[in-house]
Amino acid sequence: MGTRIEAASAVTSHGLRKPTARRLADAAARTCLAHAGRKPGDIDMLINTGIYRDDNMGEPALAALIQEDIGANLGQPPLGGHGTFSFDLLNGTCGVITAIQIESGLLDSGVIRLGAIVTSDVDPDHGDPRATLVRPAGGAMLLARDDDLAGFTDFYAETFPEYDHLFASGLVWQERHGHRLPRQAAGQHALVIDEKPGYEARLADCAEEASRRFLRRLGLGWGEIDLLVPAPSSPGFLDVLTRRLGVPGDRVAYVPEDLDGTYTTGPIAALQAAIRSGRLGEARTILMLAAGAGITVTLALYRQAPP
Amino acid sequence: MAGIRSRQADQWLALESPGSDGSWGCRIESVGVKLPAGRLATRDLIGQTSHRTRIQLERLTGIHERHVVGPGENSFTLAAGAARDCLAHSQRRAPDIQMLISTSITRSRGRYTQSFEPPLSLYVKQAIGATQAANFDLSNACAGMLTGVFILQDLITRGEIDCGMVVSGEYISHLNWNAARQIHSLFSKQLASLTLGDAGAAVIVERAPCGAGIEVIGFTTLAEHSRLCLAFPSTVGPGAQMYTRSRTLQKVAIEDMAPLVAEVIGAAGIDLADIDYLIPHQTSARAIRAGTQEFARRLGARPKHVVVNLEEYGNTSSTTLFVALHKYLEEQRIHKGDRVMLLALASGIEIGMAIFTVDSQVDRYGHTH
Repeated sequence: MGTRIEAASAVTSHGLRKPTARRLADAAARTCLAHAGRKPGDIDMLINTGIYRDDNMGEPALAALIQEDIGANLGQPPLGGHGTFSFDLLNGTCGVITAIQIESGLLDSGVIRLGAIVTSDVDPDHGDPRATLVRPAGGAMLLARDDDLAGFTDFYAETFPEYDHLFASGLVWQERHGHRLPRQAAGQHALVIDEKPGYEARLADCAEEASRRFLRRLGLGWGEIDLLVPAPSSPGFLDVLTRRLGVPGDRVAYVPEDLDGTYTTGPIAALQAAIRSGRLGEARTILMLAAGAGITVTLALYRQAPP
Repeated sequence: MAGIRSRQADQWLALESPGSDGSWGCRIESVGVKLPAGRLATRDLIGQTSHRTRIQLERLTGIHERHVVGPGENSFTLAAGAARDCLAHSQRRAPDIQMLISTSITRSRGRYTQSFEPPLSLYVKQAIGATQAANFDLSNACAGMLTGVFILQDLITRGEIDCGMVVSGEYISHLNWNAARQIHSLFSKQLASLTLGDAGAAVIVERAPCGAGIEVIGFTTLAEHSRLCLAFPSTVGPGAQMYTRSRTLQKVAIEDMAPLVAEVIGAAGIDLADIDYLIPHQTSARAIRAGTQEFARRLGARPKHVVVNLEEYGNTSSTTLFVALHKYLEEQRIHKGDRVMLLALASGIEIGMAIFTVDSQVDRYGHTH
């Protein structure tokens, strides 16, 4: 028995008049549920892994708002009913794989029967030419148990804190100066993203080191990996990594142009591309890989073979 | 591999209860706190509101004072301090920690009033020397720390790890000041912001023999009420502002929580009267008393003791349950063999509960008093 990917959907802001993080996550979740033929009420756990939002709300967890929007088990809990548990998980571009690890475990334990992972980011500084980090996008995936599949069998995470200074982000208070009218804002919290030169190159270094260590631990060679599902998709990271690892292009799940440059949605966008192209269905051993700030690298091995 | 505990169709909560199927148990090994030295009396806070409100906050909430950070302190320093205190009370060493989860709502560090990346957990694990631990941050309002325990419990009982830490540092006293500038009356939606205090807390959980430690832990999100408490960056001053419909939140919580408490108690195979100490989320003394009375009426039993520690700390957000547990351990009011129930209530609405029996961890507390 293992954890199976029921569906994975990534959406862009196309068609949305105002692409907020919540709306993008809602749209991705609804699309994903439709693809899987599931109802919102089937979801036992909903983890949101998005980072960059328009409102930067501290509480509640955005996951709770998404649960309400899509209508997953609302109303009063009666005895004999069935609920959904939602929360946010923050681990940058690695968040989706961390959430898969958590839900896969809870599926294995029988605590949940259907897990949803949703994520989305927007660029909060619209019009700021320095803030080109995020392409507004949302993603969602559904995980369930499958008696005939090994599914997600192994996970690995490694951090390289010697590079923690290469990428940092957060809100900084900016006081309004000069004369202020009554009731006028005293200032604002501005998003500051500090990316140092060489960050992408170090990401590739760390991803190479961590993935080699992971496969060595599992006794696997790169020749046994049928498909690499990587994030981020930027050439400065991905081209360098695949060249060094010697993974041919036909074994890499590249995202289409309209989903290039998405942030936490990256792993789901790559998965969706592999599903649509049919390459996920053909592969027996799949390696998901994500690298981001920290530097953090997370990996997951997904086997489409009997357990 | 752990035995499968299939979710029952008649179960509302996502519920973990290590069964008698040969899987591991999970126990709370130690608890640590970091309380900043500065204190702010409720009387002094009310005295600094911009408008003359005549709010008798201390009488309404039972909060006499709260701890507040000083220069150089923030969410990160509180979290790291609590993690160190937790290790000081532990038989574990930092290198034993295989997963570290930071659950602060506020994530102030350095120049950032709210940091996003890298996760705060990375800096905490580096600060305490848990360098090999996997780490991530989690945000689930005031239920964050118990959510972290829920996740670690599953990893531990399945044998994936044998020791983990959940940590939180809440620098939230800026909400006091931002609210104090705007509150006009008792009916302000920012009133609950005046009840907040700063604190850090940490807990180590570890593998235990089957049947020991945490008997049951469960969670749910009543998302229909997700907008009853909202917090977001302030434009009045650094930090956040929070808007709470306290009375509605209280009403919904009491109404909906009773069947969920019954579900958890039932899963543990006990009665509410078998709980020696109920530690609920600390909001106001009145709300806790009203909630307990209603549970007792509906469930036909009441716990032996209900912990209220608001007088000295106020509402310390995601850390309240473990700040209260730590205080009772240090004061040696909880004894070996006592059954404790932690009850988290948070924006979302998130409801989480854990029941565990206190064991030898009590031996490492109380010597500093």
